[in-house]
Amino acid sequence: MDKFTIIFWVAAVLLFILSLRKGKAKVKQAMKQSRNMMKSIVGDIVGIIFLIGLVLTFIPPSSIESALGSSNTLWGSAIAAIAGSVTLIPAFVAFPLVGSLVQNGASIIPAAAFLTTLTMVGVVTFPLEKREFGTKFALGRNLLSFVAALLIAALMGVIL
Amino acid sequence: MILSKMKKNKLLVTVAAVYILLGLIQPDKAWQALSNSSYYLLEMAQIMPVIFLLTVSIEVLVPKEWILKHFGKDSGMLGNLLSLVLGSISAGPIYAAFPIGKALLAKGASVGNVVIILSAWAVIKVPMLANEAKFLGVQFMATRWVLTVVLILLMGYLMQKLVKEEDIPVEKVDADEDLSVEQDYCIGCGVCASMASEVFVMDQGKAHVIVGDLSEYTEIIKETADRCPAKAIRYRIESEGEIC
Repeated sequence: MDKFTIIFWVAAVLLFILSLRKGKAKVKQAMKQSRNMMKSIVGDIVGIIFLIGLVLTFIPPSSIESALGSSNTLWGSAIAAIAGSVTLIPAFVAFPLVGSLVQNGASIIPAAAFLTTLTMVGVVTFPLEKREFGTKFALGRNLLSFVAALLIAALMGVIL
Repeated sequence: MILSKMKKNKLLVTVAAVYILLGLIQPDKAWQALSNSSYYLLEMAQIMPVIFLLTVSIEVLVPKEWILKHFGKDSGMLGNLLSLVLGSISAGPIYAAFPIGKALLAKGASVGNVVIILSAWAVIKVPMLANEAKFLGVQFMATRWVLTVVLILLMGYLMQKLVKEEDIPVEKVDADEDLSVEQDYCIGCGVCASMASEVFVMDQGKAHVIVGDLSEYTEIIKETADRCPAKAIRYRIESEGEIC
């Protein structure tokens, strides 16, 4: 567990203890409600996690090298943004990978596009987001995030 | 019973089927996919209990008026900034943010602010920024951070315009042991939803329960259950036993 997850744990436990002081009955009621929500969400999350495993097996992280290293920046950025949307690589794998590619001369524009869609756009988590927030919300947020990622990448190309 | 469980977990069942198929054709690939998943399973196991405790704490500790004032539609720029900070100090993958976002929405947070929280939760995180600076340089990290913050705020604004509160599904507590609507029997007449709109809601032609705390509604629930033409409402309120 990394430092930040531990801090998150401590904060959550402290808040929970504070909640208990507000009355056990209230907490019990809230727990019942949260449990219902969690029950419905966890099945989907586990499904998504095993789906990620499949995606990573057939599209290994190293395969983005070709997109990021593409000589055509525009085309490369589009591919990189799409690759970032469908995969879910842990950040500690993605940063060194992209870093080494940039050091070897790859353009920073597709690199920025990839890193931004990687975290902000979730094709794999889409079904879950749709169920929790509705189609309009999920579709809107992911599409806007995709456009935002391309914008960020293009602007970074101009600035840096 | 098993069939309805399978229906509820469509995704899980589908993925399991793919794994079984793959296991038959290319067992080594299936094995590799399983081991690829293990990191994420561990991550989920570490973060979901925290999310559970947090949603409970939000429900108990934070009054609706407070959320409405600080994260609601009229919270303005300050609300947006607060959402940005809240999302940034979090830990865990984006799906962990969904229950929190949902809990805040139910308490009166605006769509725009929830979008800001989710996006910041996904992209802006201190350990990630440190990692990015290490491998891509401080300049790269700082520029991307500034641009991302600006665009996230813009996205919150656009989503607020785009998505209405009615577009977001209400959390249903159908599986509750104290009150439930038998989905197979419900004929979708809507009597319960009009008699007790705080308790029942119609969705896709069937009635659903939306409250967890029944204590305030015991009388109306009994009345409604009596009126239900299909006798599809099942409830158990304080030692009165189960009545169909």
